[in-house]
Amino acid sequence: MKRIYVCNDTVTGILSAIYDAWKKEKNSENCSIAFRGKVEAELFCDYVEVEETEHKARAVEAMICKHLGESVYGDLYYAMLSADRQKADAVLGTMLEARTLSDSRRIMEHLSHPKVEKVFELSRRVGAEAHALKGFVRFKELSGGILYSEIAPKAQLLTCLAPHFAERLPMENWMICDRTHEEYAVHEAGKRWVLVQNEVLDPSVVSEVSERELLYEKLWQGFCQTISIKERENIKSQRGHLPLRYRPYMVEF
Amino acid sequence: MRIEKALTLYEKLNILTDAAKYDVACTSSGTERKNDGNGTGSCQQSGICHSFSADGRCISLLKILFTNECIYDCKYCVNRRTNDVMRTSFTPEEVCTLTMEFYRRNYIEGLFLSSGVLKSPDYTMELLYATLHKLRTEYRFQGYIHVKAIPGASQELIRRIGFLADRMSVNLELPTAEGLKLLAPHKTRKKILTPMRLVQNGMEENKKELILYRNAPSFVPAGQSTQMIIGASPESDYQILQVTESLYQKFELKRVFYSAFVPVNEDAMLPARTDEGPPLLREHRLYQADWLLRYYHFRAEELLSEEEPNFNVLFDPKCNWALKHLECFPVEINRADYKMLLRVPGIGYKSASRIVKARRLGVLDFPDIKKMGVVLKRALYFITCNGKMMYPTKLEEDYIARNLLDTKEKLPKEVVNMGYQQMSLFDDVRFREDFYEKNLCV
Repeated sequence: MKRIYVCNDTVTGILSAIYDAWKKEKNSENCSIAFRGKVEAELFCDYVEVEETEHKARAVEAMICKHLGESVYGDLYYAMLSADRQKADAVLGTMLEARTLSDSRRIMEHLSHPKVEKVFELSRRVGAEAHALKGFVRFKELSGGILYSEIAPKAQLLTCLAPHFAERLPMENWMICDRTHEEYAVHEAGKRWVLVQNEVLDPSVVSEVSERELLYEKLWQGFCQTISIKERENIKSQRGHLPLRYRPYMVEF
Repeated sequence: MRIEKALTLYEKLNILTDAAKYDVACTSSGTERKNDGNGTGSCQQSGICHSFSADGRCISLLKILFTNECIYDCKYCVNRRTNDVMRTSFTPEEVCTLTMEFYRRNYIEGLFLSSGVLKSPDYTMELLYATLHKLRTEYRFQGYIHVKAIPGASQELIRRIGFLADRMSVNLELPTAEGLKLLAPHKTRKKILTPMRLVQNGMEENKKELILYRNAPSFVPAGQSTQMIIGASPESDYQILQVTESLYQKFELKRVFYSAFVPVNEDAMLPARTDEGPPLLREHRLYQADWLLRYYHFRAEELLSEEEPNFNVLFDPKCNWALKHLECFPVEINRADYKMLLRVPGIGYKSASRIVKARRLGVLDFPDIKKMGVVLKRALYFITCNGKMMYPTKLEEDYIARNLLDTKEKLPKEVVNMGYQQMSLFDDVRFREDFYEKNLCV
């Protein structure tokens, strides 16, 4: 009978489910991973509740890095961050398929396999969103000098964005809030960044901006308008590169 | 007339941005640098676009002139000496503050500093140097810096500033020396190529130093670029592409940019003002051909010739080449070598490399290569999978051309304006197979 592993929609959840499935399953037809709260009931299935632990997640991560390589782990990791419901199945299916190759590290080149192709597609999409947001994140300076940003990405991107900003702004206090998933990346000057989940932020803390903040916002808005060449105006192209969904969080729009 | 008036920072920024907007390059790619833990900023190899302006161009760098005062009188330039426009200059301090405050809010990836020529090339270059030096040392800025080398500036200054910048560029301005003589009477080809050669030699030497001493400071690590104005002088596309090719070969440039001529001045030497707008399609075709030179192993004389010196309006240069060389097709996806795959319309360099890797692990069919990013509606006339074509088609130029025009993609605005509207079935190849190829600024 087909077994369905039920876990939370987090990287730890998915990796724990894979940990449990890995010992029992040989074939991606006979098993599946579903997310708690989003399970679509199927007949003739066993539902298995996954116990989620950091330990399991680390073990699977280490196994992937060892046998498939870090670059493949990167693709699988990006896929796990996406908003797609079938992502966990695609990851598990790809890992099972890798077992059948003589050189498992080449699994991501095996694009004629549907699960691999799915992971490739998801990874590409998440990677593109992460890359775009590295540019589109806008910080505003709060009255205490803290830089604060809000985004609403489709995928759970904070773990991709935070290392980038920690690298580039090591001496600043900053915080990025993911409105879609209600998570925060918080960085204290000179320290490591941390991911904060399941906490509610008091909106009054981030509402008051510093005195000079408005000056720089105005300068930037002016710059963005002036830099455009009127004779070349092309709003469609602008929208293609910078979709409307990003704009509510960008000060120049 | 000279009226002295103190301008606010907002007004200055407005004037010096407006004066810089015709510069094309906004790229922040080509160098990877980590933060040393004591400053602000880092660089990413791929470059990052931070915003897009209403003309659809990417905003990556704070692109400004240091000053729009200029001793030269180039006929196409808004800042020419004889134009009566408001003149102003930043102080090094102002440029530094703007850069830092924009950068920490993640508005920009770095600074693009250009300038009009104030007093003399050396005097101007000194000012740029002082600004960058302040930014790099006092403000510890470690983000991307693109700086213009002013033609005529001394070798020593160019060498010193090269160690502070990631990219340097000298504008070629116009494709040929004759065009330059006509439109930029104070500049000569030699004056422009000299600093270009200096930067090239500097990079060459620096490479050797870096092999010996890993921590030697790096000189223009992201390479140099240039740009030329298209449509202000009478060169053909073939001439322009040959210039481009030799710049890549002889000066090892990272990028050549093209800027469709926008008339900002009235001058008898310049083309008459028309309602057609800047020659954007021509510029677009040049960029496409430029990609073919850099990533697709094409040579200029394969794409154009003395007999056919200008690009086809309807077909992109690669498609056009394929239509004229049907004897090379169809190619078999499961066997053709990488370089031949690159020549197939609808296959980009990324999908070509995916095909080469994936076919080692299994036989590929049309749905597989579609998922890899191949644009089948364009490629199908030129390829086989396992010896079969996707549909029965004829390998005839007319037949394929007609069908390609029938694929219901939108016609570029310029073609519509030229009266091709009845063929609203244009297939515009923008090398869109891949996300990262979408941007001109990679």
